[in-house]
Amino acid sequence: MAESALTRPGQRERYQNKFAQIDWTLCLMMALIAGMGSLVLYSVGGMSWDPWAYDHLFRFGLCFVVMIGLSMINLSIWLSISYWAYGGSLLLLVAVELFGKVKMGAQRWLDIGITDIQPSEFMKLAIVLALARWYHENSAKDANWSWKLLVPIFMILIPFTLVAHQPDLGTAMLILITGVAVMVAAGLNWKAIATAAGAGIVAIPFVFTFVLHDYQAKRITTFLDPESDPSGSGYHILQSKIAMGSGGLLGKGLGLGSQSQLNFLPEKHTDFIMAAVSEELGFVGGASVFLLYGLVIFMALRIAMLSHSHFGRLAVAGAIATFAVYVLINGAMVMGLAPVVGVPMPLLSYGGSVMLTVMVGFGLIQGVKVHRYQELPRQNSIFARFE
Amino acid sequence: MAETSIIFSDVNERQGVFSRRVFLMGGVVAFGLFALTGRLAQLQLIEGGKYRRLSSANQFNYRLIPPPRGQILDRNGVVIAGNRPSFSVLVMRSQVKDIDETLDQIAYVLPQTLLRRRAILRDINQSRRFAPTAIATDLNWEDFAKVNLYASTIPGVDVSMDEVRVYHYGGAFSHVIGYVGKISDKDLKAETAAAGDEEQLDPILLHPGFRIGKQGIEKAFDKDLRGVAGARKIEVNATGNIIAEDSDGMRPATPGEDVVLTLDAEIQQRALEVFGEDSGGAVLMNIHTGEVLCMMSAPSFDPNLFVSGISSKAYGLLRDYERLPLLDKCIGSTYAPGSTFKVATALAFLEGGINPEERVVCSGSYRYGNRSFACHKRGGHGPQTMHDAIKNSCDVYFYHMCNRAEAGPDRIAQTARALGMGHVFENFEIAGQKRGTIPDREYKRTAFKNDPKWHPGETLSVAIGQGYVTTSALQLCTYIARIANGQKAVEPYLVKKIGEVEKVPFKDFKDLPFSRAHLDIVRAGMVAVSNDVTGTAYRNSRLNLGNIEMAGKTGTAQVRSYDKVTNRRNEGIPWKLRDHGLFVAFAPADNPKYAIAVIVQHGMGGSMFAAPKAREIMKLALIKDPEMQARIIQPMPVDPNLANAPDQPLTSDAAPEPLDINPSPDAIPPQ
Repeated sequence: MAESALTRPGQRERYQNKFAQIDWTLCLMMALIAGMGSLVLYSVGGMSWDPWAYDHLFRFGLCFVVMIGLSMINLSIWLSISYWAYGGSLLLLVAVELFGKVKMGAQRWLDIGITDIQPSEFMKLAIVLALARWYHENSAKDANWSWKLLVPIFMILIPFTLVAHQPDLGTAMLILITGVAVMVAAGLNWKAIATAAGAGIVAIPFVFTFVLHDYQAKRITTFLDPESDPSGSGYHILQSKIAMGSGGLLGKGLGLGSQSQLNFLPEKHTDFIMAAVSEELGFVGGASVFLLYGLVIFMALRIAMLSHSHFGRLAVAGAIATFAVYVLINGAMVMGLAPVVGVPMPLLSYGGSVMLTVMVGFGLIQGVKVHRYQELPRQNSIFARFE
Repeated sequence: MAETSIIFSDVNERQGVFSRRVFLMGGVVAFGLFALTGRLAQLQLIEGGKYRRLSSANQFNYRLIPPPRGQILDRNGVVIAGNRPSFSVLVMRSQVKDIDETLDQIAYVLPQTLLRRRAILRDINQSRRFAPTAIATDLNWEDFAKVNLYASTIPGVDVSMDEVRVYHYGGAFSHVIGYVGKISDKDLKAETAAAGDEEQLDPILLHPGFRIGKQGIEKAFDKDLRGVAGARKIEVNATGNIIAEDSDGMRPATPGEDVVLTLDAEIQQRALEVFGEDSGGAVLMNIHTGEVLCMMSAPSFDPNLFVSGISSKAYGLLRDYERLPLLDKCIGSTYAPGSTFKVATALAFLEGGINPEERVVCSGSYRYGNRSFACHKRGGHGPQTMHDAIKNSCDVYFYHMCNRAEAGPDRIAQTARALGMGHVFENFEIAGQKRGTIPDREYKRTAFKNDPKWHPGETLSVAIGQGYVTTSALQLCTYIARIANGQKAVEPYLVKKIGEVEKVPFKDFKDLPFSRAHLDIVRAGMVAVSNDVTGTAYRNSRLNLGNIEMAGKTGTAQVRSYDKVTNRRNEGIPWKLRDHGLFVAFAPADNPKYAIAVIVQHGMGGSMFAAPKAREIMKLALIKDPEMQARIIQPMPVDPNLANAPDQPLTSDAAPEPLDINPSPDAIPPQ
């Protein structure tokens, strides 16, 4: 029975019906990426399930369950918690600023007793929800050249500044790009976009000299000329390029990549896993991974188009934009096209918190798919009374 | 829904905008992924070859196996310069993240490195990126075993077992064979220039255990001694630890060639011994072949100090010692030959047509112009023929003859040069020869711009080997060899064999441009110096080797001007101002085979201080020569008096010293 035929009240709210509405093709693609990740982690772990491959698969499974659970949540609940999630994340970021733990020169973690949490991860999703809600309740047309435009701008800039100050430039940029993506998707007019882009370009030299920490600036200069210092900062980029280039068309074979196996490749199980994939599985393996990512993003954007609520559309667009930015930045980084900024490859890289963030994002996306016919009222707007 | 139609249109409109924007976003992402895939294709498919090479350069390493340096042997196969094993600890700077931490870890095992921390850091900073630096050398076995155990756990640290040079005879050969040392920037530049460019440079030169010949034979035959480095192909990981060794990629080192010298270790040692603390040089050669059997400069230094790098303090002491132990006094320094030059002068006189039987009366001094030239014997020698003049070393005879038209400075110089003085021996193997000076009119013209004219008074000085005349010990020895060997312009050489290749000695020496009869006359003069009881070196020339006798010529070269001092005696004046003592000789006198020249710097008299040294060195050369055995071992003629009175105890005078058997102290002239 087609979904559109379910018109009786409450019928769509039944869990077995919701369950059937989950985009299982998308799930399959995600599972394929995660499986590929596990395979390569098995290889770079010395042809062993320990220490990474098994964990990776287990985490994916666990997060997959979380995603399914989240996808059952009614969009109105997502809508109602969005400002709270944003506000809460912002408070946590401020708390990090004040009481955060310093690890490896950066103040990113907050000790909540049980474990250390990284509030900037929450913000990645919260910013999407908050902006989606704001644009859901406010017309982008109104907010093009009026004081209203300042609201989404500050919604982005406040967490951006806090995260960049930790310092965590990678996550800050992710928050910025995601936020801008939601604004653009919501219909921000081109004049505003062009103005912002112009201002950004003008700001680059100031950012470089006054805002960036030395190591951040160095990463960028190294990226521009990696061979200048092959065993210093350029080492990572160069070794990654050697690993990928030496893979050739079909790769050296699992467990046979000398760059990954002999530790020439840094962070081979996290940020540079794409280099290990390309070295051992060749161009065929690397291009397949990109194809899978492309399919995942395409399917998510299709879901965004299907949604009847503007909130749903923007939330999916924002969530998948985060994902796409991860993929593009990491891909460019490992191939020497972008500075090393510590952005992992989603679903492929080993790492629990990113996996969770990404899967929660997919929970939202799947939720929008499941609840695509749900209409959400534009009330509760704090600005509505002024119109 | 409570929304108005305006809102509805807004909803529709914003959905439309959203759709367009999502298409755009999709396009951007698609473009991005497409670009990434393109970049992947560029890296893997187009530039793949380059990165494959880089990857295998990462993975595989060639570890050099230093070749054992060739040995330097003496003429009898005795090892003069050999190798001994040495254990050292190396650090690869390119593989070390935190050098201080690494050194701390090493110091835990080798506390002695703590004291040298500063020097080690300096060495590491100066080393080339991919060349290892030795941070501890010459470890004992126990330390080596400890480090070996821990080295694999400290990244960038390696241990090596190399061979280091060892000079078994210490100072006896230090000037001739030189020494090896760490390669300097200058050496490296020279090697690079020789190789063409840096790519062609033998990588062994950058190995920390590598030592390059710095002086003497070690330098001259460095290429032969060096050998060819081998290599091991090993697989390493990013921290440089060895994962596996590829036995197919193993190339063994080719040891350097052995160099066999003409020198005799025993004679050389004997020479060093007889010099004691005296300063000077001794050269002994075979007059027919030119083989140099002994070439020793004293005082000497221990070349082993230079192998691992001499401390600047020790080097300073060697450099500043007034007897100049670092200087090779056989070739690297020239001295006025003094009376040893008179044999050449006499030959020049003969060649100039002077009758050797013509007598010159020596009254103790010779007046030339308004200046008086003294003979060394104040009372004078009386009437002197050439033979007498050589035997007595009579200065006046030479003063008198030297300005004769047929003699003159040019002929003396020409003769001296033909005899081997005033120039370097082109084929002599080791560098550092000084030419010395054999003055003639041309020399005066070019060297003295203010006073280019030759004054006849200057000939007087030249005739007795003073004035501008300077020669090296090697030149003096060659000169005596040429006098003694008949008529051949023999050339000295040091190397007999390189590896298995026998070095062809210079066999076809040119004939000297002198008549044999003239050479016989001056040789007879030299025989008289040592064998006529009135000869200047009679007392100190007694070999006591059967019927083998020595023929020599003494020389005393003044260092200060005698004009200004009244006391011509050498005792009690500073060492620096004392006369040089010289002695040249050949033996056996009747059928010469060896020539020797001894210079004792500031050694006062040639007869008293140089001749006994020459005698001892010559004696050993003769004893060691199998051809001489028959003459040495033949029974001494039995003294009938002694035979008839067997009970008579030997007096202390009957000690082996020949001068005590034939005592005639009155007949021994002071010079």
